Amino acid sequence: MLAYLLRRIAMTAPTLLLVSIAVFTLMRLIPGDPVQLMLGEGADPAQLELARQQMGLDQPLVTQYFVWLRQALTGDLGVSTTNGLAVLPLIWERFHVSAVIVLTAVALASLIAVPAGLVAAWRKDRPTDLAIIGAATLMLSVPSFWLGLLLLMFFGQYLHWLPVVGYVPMSEDFSQGLLYVILPIVTLVLVETGVLTRMSRASTIEVLRLEYVTHARAKGVPESQVLRRHVLPNAFNPTLTMIGLILGHLLSGIAVLETVFTLPGLGRLMIDSIFARDYPVLQGCLLFTACIYVVINLIVDMCYPLFDPRVSVQ
Amino acid sequence: MRIQINSDIRSTDPGGNRDDNTDNVLIHVVEGLVALREDTSVGPMLASKVDTSADGLTYTFTLRDGVKFQNGAVLTADDVVWSWQRYLKPNSGWRCLPEFDGKGMTKVLAVEAPTPKTVVFKIERPSALFLTMMARPDCGGAAILHRSSLGADGQWKEPVGTGPYKIKEWKRGQYIELTRFDGYSARPEARDGLTGGKKAEIENLRFVVIPDSAAAKAALYSGGIDAFISPSPADVVEMRGRSDVRVDTTPVMTMVALLLQTTDPLLKDVRIRRALALALDTPEIAKTVTEGLSAVNNSVVPSSSPFYSAVQAGGYKRDIAGAKKLLAEAGYRGQPIKLVANKRYEALYSAAVLVQAMASEAGINVELEVLDWATQLDRYTKGQYQSMAFIYSARIDPSLNYEMVSGDKAAQPRKVWDNPAAQTRLTESMVSRDKARRQVLFDEMHKQMLQDVPMVVLFNASDATAMRKSVTGFKGWAPAKPRFWNVRLDARG
Repeated sequence: MLAYLLRRIAMTAPTLLLVSIAVFTLMRLIPGDPVQLMLGEGADPAQLELARQQMGLDQPLVTQYFVWLRQALTGDLGVSTTNGLAVLPLIWERFHVSAVIVLTAVALASLIAVPAGLVAAWRKDRPTDLAIIGAATLMLSVPSFWLGLLLLMFFGQYLHWLPVVGYVPMSEDFSQGLLYVILPIVTLVLVETGVLTRMSRASTIEVLRLEYVTHARAKGVPESQVLRRHVLPNAFNPTLTMIGLILGHLLSGIAVLETVFTLPGLGRLMIDSIFARDYPVLQGCLLFTACIYVVINLIVDMCYPLFDPRVSVQ
Repeated sequence: MRIQINSDIRSTDPGGNRDDNTDNVLIHVVEGLVALREDTSVGPMLASKVDTSADGLTYTFTLRDGVKFQNGAVLTADDVVWSWQRYLKPNSGWRCLPEFDGKGMTKVLAVEAPTPKTVVFKIERPSALFLTMMARPDCGGAAILHRSSLGADGQWKEPVGTGPYKIKEWKRGQYIELTRFDGYSARPEARDGLTGGKKAEIENLRFVVIPDSAAAKAALYSGGIDAFISPSPADVVEMRGRSDVRVDTTPVMTMVALLLQTTDPLLKDVRIRRALALALDTPEIAKTVTEGLSAVNNSVVPSSSPFYSAVQAGGYKRDIAGAKKLLAEAGYRGQPIKLVANKRYEALYSAAVLVQAMASEAGINVELEVLDWATQLDRYTKGQYQSMAFIYSARIDPSLNYEMVSGDKAAQPRKVWDNPAAQTRLTESMVSRDKARRQVLFDEMHKQMLQDVPMVVLFNASDATAMRKSVTGFKGWAPAKPRFWNVRLDARG
């Protein structure tokens, strides 16, 4: 198991290297000068040049890349061209905000979606199935920013139950912090439950068609046991893959929701960095995102055998 | 009091790493020797008076008594010398350094403190704009700082200034909070632009970062914030219908214009540029884009400037027949003209759509090219466009307005108007201290620009600030710098 893990981790190194080259090159291909953005439309050419020198942007691209890579290998992702802050602590601080919301939302969505999908598949084509699949389709069809705004206006602006803007870390004040993340979490839960329910239903239907399920039923195994012991574990792996993908996608940036709810998360950091052409921050964010995907895939792969013993790490 | 800003400030270094939000926050914290008045002229701030020598080469500032820094130290002439020496270092990163180190307007040869209350500036060549440049908010007002603003390592820490507020807490990406400076020494006069009497009526000002305008609006309506800076014109119309919100609107010096590339193979023909200008109903564009908040202004001189004369008010009049005649003379056969715009500034996109529609009535084929702001700014800087809907930030003197658009395109491709006669007039306007003569120069430049049509100035924006009714005493002004001193916040209902 350890050798397998080490092998998997080693395999990520070339992936990350390729990501770093792609990110660096793509960023430099996008038109837009961070120094010009910083100094405005009336900036003096000599001053632009001085600022470029101070930021190291006057160096050849290859030099810039290797300087960045060398620093990145030591855990130093440079400093933001926008505000001069060290990139890695900045990303880590913002990632905390996104992680709290995303992990909670995905966990809740999974707890709702997996049983809902199972029931829908079990009651396939009956009113229960139609109701569940109808609700799921509706939820995944609603754009998250629109739903977020709707919730924000209803619970914040009209009912005054929840704060509309701001953020307090739960580590500082748990009850206050909770108030600020309820709406983004609810929004994400609603949207992602739709996706996961459909996935769970589809994979359950596949399993229900298999012979061992028919065999178990023929033996007179109670239906609840069939579902719990034979269907659920076998149907869960595709859903687990989907949960992994959703986690990776959301952790790397729920930019739209973070903008709507004014949360200082990783997604907003990335969007702001793109508009400001803040190369070090964006490069750092994308590299960090790639690492998240790698780690989540690794965790998902390690979880497969827990649900399906046929999957062997060997 | 909670005030919305649409993005975080960049730094706390006045005039260093900055943008509009940075300036807007820091004007509450720091002050310079002089500052802008309400009418955008320059008045003393930390100085009690300013004497200029007859040859215009020596400026003597007498400091006010009893001014304290936010660390309790008393302001002296040495602090002014120290601050200016820091600004004038070649690698200071101060935005306005080129105006004072000889590359631009003039060169500061010496800053001396003959007495603890007197500072003398000696400059290389006379300039009508020396004090104006000092007062510019985007230059940080050339703020006078205490040396403890730097750490022991010489690196920037935070501003220890003389303003009515000091920095309490900066939670990056979330908010920056200022708190009242109890030792503030106010000027005896009434509030006047960035100078005059300032009173910190509200104990704490929290500038909250809310990038999304819909969220900001919801926050204002729910009482989550007390002030929303620069809502869109459409939101202003909606907010005016509410009983719990008040909107302050003021004409500002920000300029929206249609730039025409005079080196473009097609647009180098002045007849085509003029035809395009004649095809446009510029009053209608201004009215529609701003929901009636701004009127047309075809001059580079802002309509709120003291130099905005009857001549400046003259502009283009729509004449489709005349436009078609010019196009026929120029042999125009419907070749497409690319018009660059973006959606970050809604006004630019809306103006571009209207330009396209109006131009088509005269047979001019305008194609929109929508870019993100960073890309558009890059294309502007390199002069890589045929036409472009562009927005210029506020300048506070007409010389600076003309300077930002005119110059040698070969040396600086971002310059729009490359006319040697205009350049000569501009140079004179920057040196002459005779107001009447300057007015003549600006009027001549305006008339010349209407002939050359390197750009069609459309309007100066109107800046709005929406506030809860509990906020009183707020007043917007032409340079679009919201000020929250002398503002009260009644108990929230």
